[in-house]
Amino acid sequence: MLESRTTIVNAFEKYRYVLDNELATIIYLMQKLGKPLLLEGNPGVGKTSVAGVLAQCLNTPLIRLQCYEGLDVNSAVYEWNYQRQLLSIKIQENANRTEEEKEAHIFGKEFLLERPLLKAITAVEKAPVLLIDEVDRADEEFEAFLLELLSEFQISIPEMGTIKAIHKPLVVLTSNRTRELSDALKRRCLYHWIDYPDFEKEVKIVLQHRPDIDEELVQSVVKVVHTLRETKLQKVPGVAETLDWINGLVALGYQELRPEGMVETLGCLLKSTDDIVKIKSVGVEHLIN
Amino acid sequence: MIRVWSGREVKLSITMDYPHFSNYENLREAVIGFGQFARYSEFNAGVQETLDALNIAGTELIHQREYLRYALKAVYCCSYEEINRFDDMFDMFWSARSDVVKIETMKRNQTNTAKKTNPSIVMMGHGSATGQLIDTKDISGANTEERLRNTDFAKLEEIESEYLEEIAMKMWKQMSYRLKRRMKSAKKGDRLDLRQTIRRNIAHGGDLIELRMKSKKRRKERLVVFLDVSGSMDKYSLFLLKFIWSLKTHFKKIEAFIFSTNLVRITDYLEVDNIEATLETMSKKVNNWSSGTRIGACFNTFNEEYAKYILNGKSTVIILSDGLDTGQPEVLSTALHRMKLRTKKIVWLNPLKGMKGYLPVQKGMRAALTEIDILRSAHSLNSLLELEELLVQV
Repeated sequence: MLESRTTIVNAFEKYRYVLDNELATIIYLMQKLGKPLLLEGNPGVGKTSVAGVLAQCLNTPLIRLQCYEGLDVNSAVYEWNYQRQLLSIKIQENANRTEEEKEAHIFGKEFLLERPLLKAITAVEKAPVLLIDEVDRADEEFEAFLLELLSEFQISIPEMGTIKAIHKPLVVLTSNRTRELSDALKRRCLYHWIDYPDFEKEVKIVLQHRPDIDEELVQSVVKVVHTLRETKLQKVPGVAETLDWINGLVALGYQELRPEGMVETLGCLLKSTDDIVKIKSVGVEHLIN
Repeated sequence: MIRVWSGREVKLSITMDYPHFSNYENLREAVIGFGQFARYSEFNAGVQETLDALNIAGTELIHQREYLRYALKAVYCCSYEEINRFDDMFDMFWSARSDVVKIETMKRNQTNTAKKTNPSIVMMGHGSATGQLIDTKDISGANTEERLRNTDFAKLEEIESEYLEEIAMKMWKQMSYRLKRRMKSAKKGDRLDLRQTIRRNIAHGGDLIELRMKSKKRRKERLVVFLDVSGSMDKYSLFLLKFIWSLKTHFKKIEAFIFSTNLVRITDYLEVDNIEATLETMSKKVNNWSSGTRIGACFNTFNEEYAKYILNGKSTVIILSDGLDTGQPEVLSTALHRMKLRTKKIVWLNPLKGMKGYLPVQKGMRAALTEIDILRSAHSLNSLLELEELLVQV
C-alpha cells in the first residue's frame, strides 16, 4: 500500500504520471476504504493510465478487462473448457461413479477457464489492480453482474458456488460517459472526474514524457491545444493528442512551432476531417500567434 | 426554512438556523449531519456513504480542509454535475461562520457538462403554431418534471425547454438501452449452446443426444427518419432532431434526412458523439431551416437519389412533420406510394395530433393518410417515449 498522499504523488511521478492533490487523495482513500474507483472524463485525459501506473507503483499485476457491447460472463468471468469436459465424460463412461460424482468432476477447477474478473479475485500472491476499461460500452446486464464483484469482491458460479477474493483487488473503472451508468454501480465506487489539465500541468506532463524537448516548443504546442479546446470541435484533442502532436513535430525535425509544421502534423492532433477543414479555414498562423 | 441547490425548501432542526458543523457537539455528529445535509441537497447520501465519511474522519485527511473536501466529494458525488454543486455545499457546512457562502437557488440546467451554446440554426420560438394547443395549466402532474414531459414543445419557455432537454436526453438514452436484445438459450436456433448441452448430456455418458441451441439475435433493420424543418415546425424541430440523434445508440443503421423546400441527408452528422457539435456543423452546412414546405417534392428526391441504396423492403420509415404542404397533394401521395413499395412500414408522427380535437384535414395529411400505416403524435416528451413499443418492432 502507498502510505500517504505525498508517497503516491512521488511514486506516480516516477512513472511519468503527473498527479494532482485531489486524485492523490482519492487513490489514498481507495486503498484505505477498499472501495473501487470510478474515473470519468473526456477521452485522452489519462483515465486508463491511472490503473497501469498504480500497478507499477505497487509492483503488482495489472489485470485488464476491456468492455464492449455484448460483453458477457463467458468473456469477462469464466468459461468451461468444453472440449476437455466432453473427453472426460467419454473417459468416465465406464467408471464406477454416481451421476453426482461425475457432475462434480466435470465442473471442477481443472476445466474452468479463468477470464479477467475471476483471475483478479483468485490472485494468490498479492492483490492485483483490476482495470475495467470503458465500462460505459458494456450493457446494463453486465453492469448488474458487476455489482456483486464491486461490493463483496466475490463471484458466484452456479456449478461451483461462491468464490471469494483471496486478496481484494484494487479496482479502477473508467468511463467516457457515452451513456449514464446505473446508480447502483456508481454508489459502490469512489467517483472522480478527470478534466483537461490546465496550462502549467499540461506543460509538466509533456516534459515528463519528453524531457529532451525544448520547453519553449512545449509551451507553444500546449497554448495552441488549449485554444483548440475552447473551439467547438467534433473531437476535442486530449492530452494523448498533445503528446502525439509534439512527438510528430519533433520527428519531422521542428524545433519551434511553425505554420507549415502544424499543417503537416494536424492529423496527429485532430481526428476528424471536418475539424481539420475548420482549422485550416481559420488559418493555423492565426492559432499559433 | 431555507432554499437549497435543487430548489427544494429544507426543514432544519430547531437548533440550527442553517446547517453548519459548529452546531454539532463533536466531529462524528458533524459528519453525520453533513450526510443529512447532502441527502436534502439531493446527493446520493445513504447509510454506506455516511459510514465511509466516518471512516474518512478517522484518517489524517480530517486535519486539512481541502483533503477532507476531496475525500467527501469522491464519496458523495456520482457525476460531473454533482461535483460542480458539491463545493458550495461543502463550503457552507464546513467553513468558519463568517465565511459562509450565501445560499442561492441553483437551477439544475446550469450544471450540464457540455457547454451550452446556442446553435446558430433558427429553432424554437420562431414560426407560428396554429390551432388550439394543449394549455400547460391543463396538464396534470404532481411536479415540474411530470408537467414538462406532458407539455407541448410549442408552449415551453426557454428556461423550461433547457431543463426538458436534459430530462429528454437521459430518458431517450434509457429507452435506447431497453431496446437492446441478447442471445437466449432456446430449443431452436442456429448456434449450439455448449454449456447447456453438456449439462443435459452428462447422464447420457457424453453422447450428445439432447442439443440446446442459442436463438439467433434479432437483426436490427434500417430505420429511415425524415424530419420537417420548415417554419411551421420551428417549435418542434430541435427536440425532434435530438430525439433522432439519441436513437442512433440503438439503431446502428439509421438514415436521417431533413426537408423543407429541399431534402438534405444528415446521417453522417449523427455519427458525432457531441450533440452540440453536431448542431453547430449542421447549422453551417444546411440552409433550409425555417423555410417553406414541399413534402412531396422532397420525397420524390429521396425516391430518385437514395431509395435504391437505403430501402430494402424491411426498412421502417418515420416521418416527423405537421403535414402542412405547399405542394400538390397528388405529388405527395404518389411519392409515398413509391416509398411504401420498398418499406415494411411508414409511420407518420405529427406534432399537431397533440392538439385537442385535431383531425387530419389539411390536404397534405389527407393525401398521406392512404399510404401511411401509423399516425401518432410527437408534441411532447411523453409522446416520444411512447414510441418505444413501436421501435421494438423495427
